[in-house]
Amino acid sequence: MKLQFELISFSYPGDVQALVDLSLTIEPGERIALVGENGAGKSTLAKHMNGLLKPDQGHVLVGGEDTRQTTVARLAHYVGYVFQNPDEQLFSSTVRDEVSFGPRNLGFSEAEVDQKVEAALEAVGLIESLDQHPYDLLRSERKLLGIASIYAMDTSVLVLDEPTMGLDLFGIRKVSNLLHECFSAGKTVILISHDLDFCAEHVERYIIMADGKIQLDAGIDSAFEDLEMLAFAGLEPPQLARLAQSLGFKSTPGTVDEFLDLYEKWLEKK
Amino acid sequence: MSTPTLYISRDSSLHRAHPLSKLALIGLAIVAGATLPDPLWILAVYALFLIPLALAGGVLRNFLRSSLLLIWPFALSLFLIQGFFAPGQQILLQIGPLTLKLEGLLLAADYTARILVWLSAVVLLMLITRPDHLMLALTQRGLPDQIGYIILTALQIIPRFQMRAETILDSQRARGLETEGNLLQRLRALIPLAAPLILSSILELDERAIALEARGFTHAGKRTSLAQLHDTSSQVALRWFLLIVILALIAGRIAGWSLP
Amino acid sequence: MIKLENFTFTYPEEKDSALSDLSFEVPTGQFWGLIGPNGAGKSTLCYALSGMIPHYFRGTLSGEISVAGIDVPRSSLGEMTGQVGLVFQNPFNQISGSRFTIRGEVALGLENLGVPRSEIEERVHETLEHAGLAELGERSPFALSGGQQQRLAIASILVMRPRVLILDEPTSQLDPVGTHEVFTLLDELVGQENTTILIAEHKLERLADFADNILVLNHGRIAANGAPSSVLTDPLIEAIGVQPTRYTQAARAAKERNLIEMDKELPVTLSDARGYFRETAV
Repeated sequence: MKLQFELISFSYPGDVQALVDLSLTIEPGERIALVGENGAGKSTLAKHMNGLLKPDQGHVLVGGEDTRQTTVARLAHYVGYVFQNPDEQLFSSTVRDEVSFGPRNLGFSEAEVDQKVEAALEAVGLIESLDQHPYDLLRSERKLLGIASIYAMDTSVLVLDEPTMGLDLFGIRKVSNLLHECFSAGKTVILISHDLDFCAEHVERYIIMADGKIQLDAGIDSAFEDLEMLAFAGLEPPQLARLAQSLGFKSTPGTVDEFLDLYEKWLEKK
Repeated sequence: MSTPTLYISRDSSLHRAHPLSKLALIGLAIVAGATLPDPLWILAVYALFLIPLALAGGVLRNFLRSSLLLIWPFALSLFLIQGFFAPGQQILLQIGPLTLKLEGLLLAADYTARILVWLSAVVLLMLITRPDHLMLALTQRGLPDQIGYIILTALQIIPRFQMRAETILDSQRARGLETEGNLLQRLRALIPLAAPLILSSILELDERAIALEARGFTHAGKRTSLAQLHDTSSQVALRWFLLIVILALIAGRIAGWSLP
Repeated sequence: MIKLENFTFTYPEEKDSALSDLSFEVPTGQFWGLIGPNGAGKSTLCYALSGMIPHYFRGTLSGEISVAGIDVPRSSLGEMTGQVGLVFQNPFNQISGSRFTIRGEVALGLENLGVPRSEIEERVHETLEHAGLAELGERSPFALSGGQQQRLAIASILVMRPRVLILDEPTSQLDPVGTHEVFTLLDELVGQENTTILIAEHKLERLADFADNILVLNHGRIAANGAPSSVLTDPLIEAIGVQPTRYTQAARAAKERNLIEMDKELPVTLSDARGYFRETAV
């Protein structure tokens, strides 16, 4: 499912322009981090992907279809959007019912719904809590529940808004696990996140936003070179990138393993 | 996003007046709107009392715009409903089985004038008075602190819940929830929309209460105030005068000014 | 300034204690970090240190807990207000909503305590300067960024001159700029006012820059208590679910790959790591 943004502009009513003449193409299967300060326009841009917002000017095409010609409910078949605060969507009395809500709305059969619900809860490690009341779970578990609720819709594009916020290492690993399942299935994944270290371990493309515009759209090697631009966007490079830069490495590592591979080469040169 | 109250800051003598003086002036307008018998008198209250006050406060444009915006739906429905359905003999117009009668129009004019004065008086009060200063004036005179707090908080926090409600709506739509359509579909959408709003607000009540606690909210003893309200003896005199006029109007009404 | 001895607390209707047998002591003027996995009891401890437990939240407790010289269970919440401040994750929930300007918001605590007007004016001015909010004094508390709102929340407590400040994951919901603003404010605070600070945090890199000591909580018990350089590099914390810095993780993995021979202390921050990977190369 290809996503295309053609020169879109958008303002919230009575407000400053949130997006200015923005163009972007996202191919199926890409893994993207959408980063920048709060107010830069990340969520505003992301909400155009599933039709929650329609541009004032320009077009947004999802799988070739203009989002203006269709509804949010129909786009929900293709683009899943995980909001930041799970407490702003939970309403069922069991975890199972909660996660079933999305797939049921999409029209899957009960058997398919059950299968997707279980797969999603397995992915986030909450399968044991099927019959629990969501509000009996810890806040961090509710966060994972929120992610599972959208994952169960089995969309080809998944947008996650701050998926690791408030999670400890175990929770982060569960999100990571879910993302790897997405990658294996060829899904397009878009992470909106302040946790650049987590992004660096999962994505290949960084879209850096500030002031409603895309400041830079690049892979890890070039994304973190321009420190001045990053400062303007309110960002610091991921920890391993900073370390690699200060040691003078030629390319930029995303994971610890990549860092060590580069380190080995660096040692050999010495 | 700024606070959604109507208050507009200006350097006018009206703005500098004590909040209770402003309350008294507006109170007079409201009582006049309720007690005066003749629509023309009531329109005079609007044109010769409220409008000059708005001018003095430097908020005339906002005042006129708000009054108009608020009154026209009332005016329209009143003139149509009373005009066509109130009892009367003097027929002005006939459209099929419906007859437009003069008595109805006069009745509508009376109601419209009163509603205009009431709504625009409240609008004017909000335009020229800082809500927290008004609450301070009232709590200084004996209004329980908690009530003042509740009113002020309602003005600021409730609109934020509106934003949360919108986020909830977005979240559920993104999960495929149909919010438009027939009645049954809309009823089905109620729980996924209402439950998270209520539940998330309840979850946060503890935190809010603790935060207030940490700021000494339940501290016993006299409270002081950073804000200072300036009062003058002439304003005190004015307020007494206004109170007398208000009582006179009420007496007049009771004495039998005829209302339609 | 903070002293706990065998402190145990159980929420009503819970079988297991939320906090078990805690004993530690925080000297005056120090900046301590509190880390641990979700559900370890960090928030519960923050509530206990600020007196919210047992005066707002009911439950059974045993052991001793004294903060700012006050015996917490035996005193009242009123005695603690103004002595111990509490700041938590969500900036929005900490804004009272009853004041229309930042200046008014910061003044609220002092107004409630009945402080004389002239003193309020002075202290509010001073606190706004410290928090970097002086230019925004007349703005609505709701017209601020997350980082600014959190600084406002801190300022609103600071104006009451607490001797102890407890913060429960204050930067969790903030972007990097906001996080930086909050930590800078806290750092200044320790420098100037000698306030004792305890902050529950996930962002270890920041904590390492500022903390004098780290307390590790797991399943309601203390799992470690010591200097940042040793605690934050202890394999224990990763095992219990705390994300170490990538620098620590890279160094540990480098040793496993035999790329590093020497047994030097593992790095926590960027400057540690720079030195570590340059100097200890085989």
